[in-house]
Amino acid sequence: MRPPSPSIPEKDFLYTSLKESLRLDGRLPMELRTPTLTFGDDLGWVECSLGKTRVLAQVEGKMVKPPPERPYEGIITIHPEISPMASSEYEPGRPSDEEVTITRMLDKVLKRSDAVDKESLCILAGQRVWHIRLTLHFLAVAGNMLDCACLAGIVALKHFRRPDVEVIGDEVTVHEPTERAPIPLAIHHTPFCFTFAFFPDSTIPPVLDPSQLEQRLSAGLISIALNAQRELCVLQKLGGVPLEPDEVLKIVAIAVQKAKELNSIVDARLREDWEGRHVEVR
Amino acid sequence: MSRSYGRQPHELRAIQITFDGLARVDGSARFSFGPISALSSVSGPIEVRLASENASQATLEVLVRPLSNVPATEAKALAATVRGLLTPSLILASNPRTLVQIVAQALVSLGSGPGPKSANANAVTAAVVNASTLALLNAGSIPMRGVTCAVAVGRRKDTGALVVDPDEGDGVLDADGCFAFMFTRNGQDVQARCVWTNWKQSAGGESVLSEARELASRAAGNVYDAIHASVEVMGKAKPGAVFPVHKEDATVEEEVNDNDKMEI
Repeated sequence: MRPPSPSIPEKDFLYTSLKESLRLDGRLPMELRTPTLTFGDDLGWVECSLGKTRVLAQVEGKMVKPPPERPYEGIITIHPEISPMASSEYEPGRPSDEEVTITRMLDKVLKRSDAVDKESLCILAGQRVWHIRLTLHFLAVAGNMLDCACLAGIVALKHFRRPDVEVIGDEVTVHEPTERAPIPLAIHHTPFCFTFAFFPDSTIPPVLDPSQLEQRLSAGLISIALNAQRELCVLQKLGGVPLEPDEVLKIVAIAVQKAKELNSIVDARLREDWEGRHVEVR
Repeated sequence: MSRSYGRQPHELRAIQITFDGLARVDGSARFSFGPISALSSVSGPIEVRLASENASQATLEVLVRPLSNVPATEAKALAATVRGLLTPSLILASNPRTLVQIVAQALVSLGSGPGPKSANANAVTAAVVNASTLALLNAGSIPMRGVTCAVAVGRRKDTGALVVDPDEGDGVLDADGCFAFMFTRNGQDVQARCVWTNWKQSAGGESVLSEARELASRAAGNVYDAIHASVEVMGKAKPGAVFPVHKEDATVEEEVNDNDKMEI
């Protein structure tokens, strides 16, 4: 069931204001909405919101037998779940085009960029490995759910602690969290995703982190995933308005700067949450 | 007999109610019994698919999403249950050929942590029902006959005593279930009617069921009081109100605009 498209006055108003670099929510064209991260009681449970867009991420791990072609690596699976809670236009059981794009992008950013070290998830080669399952629930979609989802996903993976496992010969002992402190996942780097929206009129500059209306009225989106060390993971542009190479390079430069800022915010929040937890070391 | 948080047998864990204000739905609310939490959203009356259109009343659709995994049998069963027990309290005939869509998200996994899995499952069921009721009140677009509240009750195997809102601190339970009551108000007079239960017990007669229902009715009354108090602060920018179980201790802001008060 599709919602009504934006009306003509809304469209005209948005384009006219964007020409003067004025966004409807008062942000600068290259300003990200401040991310708010809320951690739950369980490790690996985090709710991330970018303005009104909200995503809940949860990580859990269990031990499984690895597939025969990859006996030395753990398994990481990402499950984005979108329900009509996000918006009534999403019907259960039928993935829309947007969802498929998001699933693929999350896969590229979090799994194929090797953010999490899979070899460290191996317990007993060929017999037992960790299967880390990341589930993302889209609670509210108000523009740019991809960035919010990537942020929630990587923060949840950083927040998660898996039980300590001891291997003596062929015997595997899993220690309870009360016996031995659970250990974090081995994360190589922290990728963040930034989405820029372009409009049909080429005199309108691109905007970072589009809101619901801006995303719907855009002519194309370009998403860049990179980490704070200036390493580019993914650059995705699916159709839309053609861009000059200098424009793309300018956007990448802005994304680099934003990644550094976001990285410090995420680190500060994680440290704050960890200090609030009671960890007794005997 | 010691319970977690130093509770008495008839006491619930601390209730926390938050009105999330999710952007693209008509009403949303979060309800928790201590750490067991559920988030529910309501959209309605909205456009309905031709196949599920009903000429005389609105179609009620309930979707339950578990925390991890795709919705499987448990989630679908819970959704069907919640749909059945919310139907008596909603006046669906006033909006025919429309859809009322309720989506509930469990914020903890069923069977998490030590202790019996069923204790958690019943608490989650109760949290989902209460969150859905709050979301319906928050939306305010569907006329309601009454307010449905649910609590979980169990019988401890070690002492044989009935306890309200059991958790892992109560040990193994040999009888447990969730009770849902619809509360209707006539001025100051509040009446409760049991609309659903999934009580199961391994031994004992019918008296155990009536005792459990009586205990649940009083506990559900506390939930109803908390919901009633929370409606007064709905819409004000409060991050989350924690409502203690006893009415005397409830702290509700005094500056309440009479126009906002709703008789439920």
